[in-house]
Amino acid sequence: MKYVIMIHSNPEPWGHPTADYLAAHQELPAEVRDRLHADFEQVMTELHANGELIGGEALGAPSAARLYRWRDGTPLVSDGPYSETKEHLAGFFLIDVEDPARAHAVAAKFAGPGETVELRPLMWPGGGDQ
Amino acid sequence: MWRREAPHVRAALLRRWGHLDACDDAVQEAAEAAVTRWPVTGVPDDPRAWLVRVASRRLIDQLRADSARARRESLDAARRPDAAVDQTPTNRADDTLRLLFLCCHPALSRPSQVALTLRAVAGLRVEQIAAAHLVPARTMTQRLHRARTALRRAGARFTLPSPPELPARVAAVLDVCHLVFTEGYTRTSGTTLLDVELAEEAIRLTRQVHAALPDHHEATGALALMLLTHARSPARTDAAGDLVPLAEQDRTRWRHDLIDEGVTLLGQALPHGPVGRYQLQAAIAAVHAEAPTFPATDWRQISILYDMLSRVAPSPFVTLNQAVAVAMAHGPSLGLALLDPLLTDPAMLRHHRLHAVRAHLLERTGDPDAAAHYRRAAALTASLPEQRYLNRRLTGR
Repeated sequence: MKYVIMIHSNPEPWGHPTADYLAAHQELPAEVRDRLHADFEQVMTELHANGELIGGEALGAPSAARLYRWRDGTPLVSDGPYSETKEHLAGFFLIDVEDPARAHAVAAKFAGPGETVELRPLMWPGGGDQ
Repeated sequence: MWRREAPHVRAALLRRWGHLDACDDAVQEAAEAAVTRWPVTGVPDDPRAWLVRVASRRLIDQLRADSARARRESLDAARRPDAAVDQTPTNRADDTLRLLFLCCHPALSRPSQVALTLRAVAGLRVEQIAAAHLVPARTMTQRLHRARTALRRAGARFTLPSPPELPARVAAVLDVCHLVFTEGYTRTSGTTLLDVELAEEAIRLTRQVHAALPDHHEATGALALMLLTHARSPARTDAAGDLVPLAEQDRTRWRHDLIDEGVTLLGQALPHGPVGRYQLQAAIAAVHAEAPTFPATDWRQISILYDMLSRVAPSPFVTLNQAVAVAMAHGPSLGLALLDPLLTDPAMLRHHRLHAVRAHLLERTGDPDAAAHYRRAAALTASLPEQRYLNRRLTGR
């Protein structure tokens, strides 16, 4: 089953990997940062080796976004950011795993201080007839 | 030609060399050589011998070149570079079975077993397997690579399991075949055009298992189940490609040839007992297949069969289906009562089917809570057709 793992974050300045630009992350003792980094590398290697990782991308800054809203029958264009919330979508990973338990375990490994990780199932076109 | 010969060529190499990963690559290269050579030179008199010879040569080259691979094979190959690969014709069914046992080895995860079986036994291309699973080819390549490495590490061999292991290993093979079938069956939405029909591949694989183990009644049961379920496929989608639930299917479009074959197989298996889960599921499918209409279904019979199934292979999903059957046979409140134990299971509470069944039964009792359960079920399902169906029940549109 497929899931998207979305990283909601607010690196300052905007940059990737987001952890490098997050105060909450930088304030951690070096050994904790190293452990988090190693854990992340390990889960990425594992996802790749297992053929569970379909893809993923880092996104540009929210202020670089162009927004298209519908006004009076035409698109009205403005500049980002899309929302004034604290965190923005910073990147995503697409995974295909055996079951929800595996997805939960993987998503937990993406968590870090100062960020929210969102795990959402993907819809698929099939289904049973009962 | 290639699809027919590939398993034999692979089996001949496996008997001689043992390692699936190396053999698979060599067989693939032999196939590619055949594609370029045969149109020029003509198809050889004995294509299988030609393929085995070419594949063996490639395999030996590869083993020599690859110093990282187990030294034993390299030495072996260097010492006897022209050693004849065993080409004696053996029981074809037996070879297929050995290959299935290897692909469904307990060292592999279920998805890896499925991928490897489709590659090595069914002979599908990586691109076809990837397309059938809606993942990119490189993801599938990675999965196959991982699976072959795991087999090598586990020391898996192209042999028949020992008698004490055999029942569990056959069960794993049947489960993999059935998983391929359900993947194919639930994935066909009518709009997705695939190169390959996984449900039909699964039936072909299970026919081979049945041919190799004609007295294994669960293998017979698994084949019967797939045939009886696949018989519904012409009626499962409407003109727009949307799923049609069993209750609304045009039964005149069901494949009666498959139903007859499934019922005959089941008739051969059932009298022998003890009856396993595939035979019971096949028996349930047979009751559906023999009912002229949905309301005329023998729901008492189905609820008895589900009761047996819940003893042989208990699972929350069997309980769900049992609740539906009991509700049809004896009224919705008895069905709802069966669902109660599932309501304390956190994993089931996150599963759409519990809420969908509950919504259905509550709707039948006239309980207004039905809507909340339809809403929850629609939010939880990842299946687009099921979500559309549940939203229709919710909104009355």
